[in-house]
Amino acid sequence: MTLEISHLTTQFGSVTAVDDISFTAKASEITTVIGANGAGKSSLLRTISGLEKPSSGSIKWNGRELIGLKPEAIVRLGVAHVPEGHAVISELTVAENIAMGGLFRRRKNRADLESASKEVYELFPRLEERRKQLAGTLSGGERQMLAIARALVARPQLILLDEPSLGLAPLVVEQIIATVNDLCRKTGLSVLLVEQNAITALGVADQGVLLSLGKVVADRPAKELRADATLRAAYLGY
Amino acid sequence: MNLFLSAFFSGTARGAIYAIVALGLVLVWRGAGIINFAQMGQAMFTTYIASTLIISGKSYWLAFVIALIAGAMLGALIDILVMRPLSRVHRAEALNSPAMKATIPVIASLGILGLLQALAGMFWVGQERGFPAPVAIEGLIVAGRKMPFTAFDIFTIAIVALVLVLTSLFFRKTGTGLAMRATALNQEVAKLSGIRTTQVRILSWIISGAASSLAGLLIAPSSILSPSSLDLILIIGFTAAVVGGLDSLPGAVLGGLIVGYVISFVNFYRSPEDIFLAILILLLVVLLVRPNGVMGSKQVRRV
Repeated sequence: MTLEISHLTTQFGSVTAVDDISFTAKASEITTVIGANGAGKSSLLRTISGLEKPSSGSIKWNGRELIGLKPEAIVRLGVAHVPEGHAVISELTVAENIAMGGLFRRRKNRADLESASKEVYELFPRLEERRKQLAGTLSGGERQMLAIARALVARPQLILLDEPSLGLAPLVVEQIIATVNDLCRKTGLSVLLVEQNAITALGVADQGVLLSLGKVVADRPAKELRADATLRAAYLGY
Repeated sequence: MNLFLSAFFSGTARGAIYAIVALGLVLVWRGAGIINFAQMGQAMFTTYIASTLIISGKSYWLAFVIALIAGAMLGALIDILVMRPLSRVHRAEALNSPAMKATIPVIASLGILGLLQALAGMFWVGQERGFPAPVAIEGLIVAGRKMPFTAFDIFTIAIVALVLVLTSLFFRKTGTGLAMRATALNQEVAKLSGIRTTQVRILSWIISGAASSLAGLLIAPSSILSPSSLDLILIIGFTAAVVGGLDSLPGAVLGGLIVGYVISFVNFYRSPEDIFLAILILLLVVLLVRPNGVMGSKQVRRV
């Protein structure tokens, strides 16, 4: 279950957000895409999940081309996207948000869907306590947990996480990242983690892809990237 | 007292019908982002179908059910044949701005209204017809006393109440209902959750079409049926939807009742000529005091 991206380019008008990007996210590993604001990280994820149409290149998931498929078809193939900004539906309850994530599986495999939502609540007990509350009343961290739970209930093989740390307290970030890491190590879930917070992301990732202005600057084991003082200074500023 | 009760019951029955009209408008607005000006044209057309069946000797109930099915199908056709192709047109740069994207379907719906009225004129030679009610529309007499309501009022209120309960159960308790609410609230998250939003949109048109047909069937007995006789109902229904809050289904029902009472009390205590003035005042007051409607959501800023 690998995701192979080759020569992917996505343009918005005259702006090239994703510029000839190629890399591979291996199965059951955490691949992190890091880079400064505006490096094209979110556009990359939005292109993979079908929200944006690329102008050229290919995205192969298990050998299958994803380009041209609608977002609702791509998630059905096991690629779940948790977009930036704790994307939940504030006007729906916590339980409804989670149920929404599994809607498309409700006819095919009801029993498994029920166990999937049970597992999700076990993973995030805070959400269990707040089942009946509107998602809009949750704290930022809880909303991020809900957004991840919404994606997990579809039992994806690959989860695309867009800046889960955005606007959250360091302790909450640590907890969320640890949960994601656990999921990857225990259940074999592949993770493509986009982060501006490079220290945290490289801390858990297996492979690191460094983007700058839409291009890949480095694609190396996370350990090496962490140790490379030149790259850090030039692109990450720490 | 009797006058008051008469106005009250008549207002409830009329309000129930306006609630259904407003419900139809709100469904398409939430589901497809379109104000559907063709809605009462759809209602007129399917009521003519029911009328033709009844005149040819079929039972009222058969005609009733067929009109509802025809309304649902007409709604689906409008989405498939007109709205969906229109949303895919990206040829001209000038048509690609958000303002134009919002305007084009509205103009299209006006075109559909014209088309339906013209077709009705051709098929039924534009003849004005009466339309039967399944029960008496004169004052009900119980134990020798004339009641302040008619059997048809009771019928209308009962059937609308049933429809509202079923609709609300559908939206609250079923997966498809949840998919429809999610799509209306946040299309991107709905898509990423695997919800097929194109199917959700056509479903909005289908339910709205059936609701419009029901409204037509319930209005027709107390007015005449002609290709343009339901035009004013659209204005009243639209006022009801705006009063309730254009994006709220319970708001549509409440708005319908409020407008129904205003119309009925003005009609009973003043004169029918003042009805539209009263509606205009109601609309102005609501827009000034609560621009999002009585139950409409405040525009929540999304981060």
